[in-house]
Amino acid sequence: MAVLPLVLELSIYTHNLMTLTFLSVAGALAWNWMGGFLGQVSFGHAATFGVGGFVAARIVLWAPVPAPLAWLAGGLVAGVFALGAHPALRLRGPYFSIATIGLGEATRLLFTYWEDFTGGSSGLSLPIETALKHRLYWWGLGLVVVVTAATWLIRRSGLGLQLLAIKADVDAAADLGVSATFYQDLMIALSGAVVGVTGGMWASYFSFIEPNDMFGFDRSIGFVLMAVIGGVGTVLGPLLGAVVFVLLRQYLLASYPQLYLGVYGLLLIFIILFEPLGLTGLLRRLWRRLSALRGKA
Amino acid sequence: MNLARPSSLKALMAALALLAVGLPAQAAPPRARVSVGATLPLTGSEARIGGFVKEGYELAFEEVNKAGGLQVGNQKLPVALTLLDDATNQATAVSLADKLINSDKVDFLLGTYSSHLIEAQSTVAEQYKVPYLQGGGGATKIFKRGFKYLFGTISPVELLGTTLMTWIDQQQKAGKLPKPAKIALLWENTAHGKDFRKGVSDFVAQNKGAYIISVDESFALDGKDFSALLGKVKAAKVDLFLADAHLPDYITMHRQYVAAGLCHKVVSYGARGSEKGAIDALGVENVKYVLSGVWWSSQLAAKPGPSRDFVTAFKARYGGRDPEWFQALAYLSAKTLFAAIQQAGTVDREAVRQKLATMKIKSLLPGGPLEFPAALGQQAQNPFVVQQNTPDGKSPIIFPQDVATGTGVAANPKCAN
Amino acid sequence: MDRFIDLALSAVLLAGLYATMAYGLGIIYGVLRVVNLAHGGVIMMGAYMGWVLHRKLGVDPYLSIPIVVAASYLLGVAMYRVLVRHLPRGAAGGPASLLLLFGFWLVLRNGAYLLFTGDDQSITTAWSTSSVVVLGSQLSVSRLAVLAIGSVIPVGLHLFLHRTHLGRAIRAVAQNPDSCTLVGVDVERIYAITFGIGTALAGVAGLLSATLFAFNPGSGSSELLKSFVVVVLGGMGSVPGTGLAALILAVVEVFAILVLPSYLTSAVGFVMLVLVLVIRPGGLFGHRVLG
Repeated sequence: MAVLPLVLELSIYTHNLMTLTFLSVAGALAWNWMGGFLGQVSFGHAATFGVGGFVAARIVLWAPVPAPLAWLAGGLVAGVFALGAHPALRLRGPYFSIATIGLGEATRLLFTYWEDFTGGSSGLSLPIETALKHRLYWWGLGLVVVVTAATWLIRRSGLGLQLLAIKADVDAAADLGVSATFYQDLMIALSGAVVGVTGGMWASYFSFIEPNDMFGFDRSIGFVLMAVIGGVGTVLGPLLGAVVFVLLRQYLLASYPQLYLGVYGLLLIFIILFEPLGLTGLLRRLWRRLSALRGKA
Repeated sequence: MNLARPSSLKALMAALALLAVGLPAQAAPPRARVSVGATLPLTGSEARIGGFVKEGYELAFEEVNKAGGLQVGNQKLPVALTLLDDATNQATAVSLADKLINSDKVDFLLGTYSSHLIEAQSTVAEQYKVPYLQGGGGATKIFKRGFKYLFGTISPVELLGTTLMTWIDQQQKAGKLPKPAKIALLWENTAHGKDFRKGVSDFVAQNKGAYIISVDESFALDGKDFSALLGKVKAAKVDLFLADAHLPDYITMHRQYVAAGLCHKVVSYGARGSEKGAIDALGVENVKYVLSGVWWSSQLAAKPGPSRDFVTAFKARYGGRDPEWFQALAYLSAKTLFAAIQQAGTVDREAVRQKLATMKIKSLLPGGPLEFPAALGQQAQNPFVVQQNTPDGKSPIIFPQDVATGTGVAANPKCAN
Repeated sequence: MDRFIDLALSAVLLAGLYATMAYGLGIIYGVLRVVNLAHGGVIMMGAYMGWVLHRKLGVDPYLSIPIVVAASYLLGVAMYRVLVRHLPRGAAGGPASLLLLFGFWLVLRNGAYLLFTGDDQSITTAWSTSSVVVLGSQLSVSRLAVLAIGSVIPVGLHLFLHRTHLGRAIRAVAQNPDSCTLVGVDVERIYAITFGIGTALAGVAGLLSATLFAFNPGSGSSELLKSFVVVVLGGMGSVPGTGLAALILAVVEVFAILVLPSYLTSAVGFVMLVLVLVIRPGGLFGHRVLG
């Protein structure tokens, strides 16, 4: 009941802003499956976002398919596309990350060149559907709920343990019978698929997508930033991080556009140096402090 | 009623919304001003030009307010501009437009700069039925979606290609250029570049036998090395070098062009050529005879008219500096909006939209009066002016005839042949 | 045949540029095992340093090399002492170091925006468009200068690393930091110095870049990415490897125009990056890097 007044008083602008936040949250959570749970930090996730977005957009332009199906199709194709990074999965640490940069950029250049599919630098325009744009709030929320539940399940389940084992030491994990290759493939496909779905929803929301923007390096970095700011490897982390990222961005652009980059930079530095688990880490520390205080009293 | 079900929730929301709409009608305060919103890339890759567009907007707003305000019906209302920074980012441009319309409750929108930002942002204006005037995105694609609330004071980029070719054609017919003439067409892989290319290739297709496009290549923005591409141009032994590039690529490419000893009878970089930044970076000697096509030039102030008035006002406001087309089109967009409001006599969006759709006014643009033909997506179709850099560092307009301040030179005298 | 020579010479010139950009990244990784994601930002700062010196004090860019080297070196040492030092070493530090330095790059970028605005700048000298004829092709003087400097650097680096006491210490730390501590080498100091050398090289690369291209605070990404390709190809930290890798990358990119549209030739480098990482992660001449 307490939530209702919040929901009802939402202006259209806030409603829309929340929709975008939901998409960011879902994407960050999915990224974190790779970056946080498996420990393979991808700087190229925009590739799956773009693929999902353009596939969904193309489907919508081609036939009167209901948008949610188009998004799903986009996600599926994106997931398969992500498997293309399979050979890079056996690289560790920074090598994997660098490989993903290469893959991301190559994808962007190739898809921008592939005009027939993406419209090239002119992009693709979709018919405006105001009703759908408003309904995306619920679709986005639904997606966040599903992805959060999945994240929690993964974390708590045997799968989560296996991923952690791989993250800690691939060879030792193999000795214990954990097939790194299978799990890495699974996670990258799932991660890519979810991000692809958010790409499709993004396309429906904006009614216009363009490859340099969808596949851009800045977008890939965005995923990393959200997860790191919130707390890599945690369940709550990407959620917090995405919310902070989107809201902070709006605030800075409105009030201090000149300092926008610097603030993010300092935030990153601060987090890496002092609280590697980002906002989640800070909250946990706070919680422990409070519990300790209560314990004393 | 189970409020957890979306449909019930929505019904409740709708009911409340109706209530909300009903109330202000009784208690509406008298209108204090006309509120216009806009976003611009004030940071990010287009920050330089975003700053220019801002100058144009601000000049227009200041002028009106200094005159006591805008005549709306029987009141004189001040006009206020709410300007936000979209950081050259598409999603931000859309979100901020959303904010301006739904949160800040502006009456109208003026456009941002750059075709892809405008294409995304205009969907918001169209959705919420807010008239949106822009002079910063000329890609024809933007205007092919059947939008009713989008108005462009900026002519299609394709027309730039066509205009250049028209002048070139004149030279060819006068015997100054070979027939058929071979063309090297290099275009940046952006909406702008693609449209430029289309303008040129469509013209070539319609003038069979007069031109051959020997090299037709796109390049990525901010390129570092054009030597391979220029080598291809050299090997093709073309007569005309037509490129379309942003300022940094113009500088890099032309430096390499000159260093490689290339020279062609006609050289153009699309809308680039006469900027001070380019002359500084390349040297007056090396930009001689380069042609550029722009939507507007301060040279149009040579004759009395709206251009001269604008240039005088701009120079007075901005320390004697000459405006470029960015400021001019921005100024024009704002002034046109004001004119429409004044003519409609009201701030009602529909009435103003109607006025804009049927408007026909004399403006600082070359060619005929400014109008927004529905058949062409409400995009202005005024001609471009072609300028050519002269050895003494000037850049007279050489085409069209009626606004020319100098004569053009084809068969670039610098080249041996 | 003419065309072939033209392309080959273009490739050599381009290789000089790529090599110059990549050395800084390579030496930092080779010794500290840290990927300097702020490399692009330092290159950008080097460009601005040269521009300011040229614009305000009229110093010829080639003469300002020592100043830029010194300033960039100090910047690097500061970056190490204030930031990088606190990172855990080794592969676990990987993503953290990437992000830390990326954050610093954002700060550098913002600083440049505030100081210089976002306008495109470039350094124009009397040499900017002049050329000389070599083997029947006209070659840009400024690019030849970059090639010349790019060829001197590895020689200088090699001499430094093999003939000086400090250089030997650096090489020792690169091989086995723990043993070095045992024999009394101040490893932290070596790390700081090496980082400084890396950024000094990046600064020079930026300065030279500024003589060739326009730049703005957002520049640096493409330089960073190309440097990655070169460093990975050359085997993350091998000096001669970097030079050769730069040549290979440049040759492939330039000759690709014979078979690919110009727009896609930039994708070639990235494809090579991924292929090398996957097939031979130690680079064409390097060492094992798989976990």
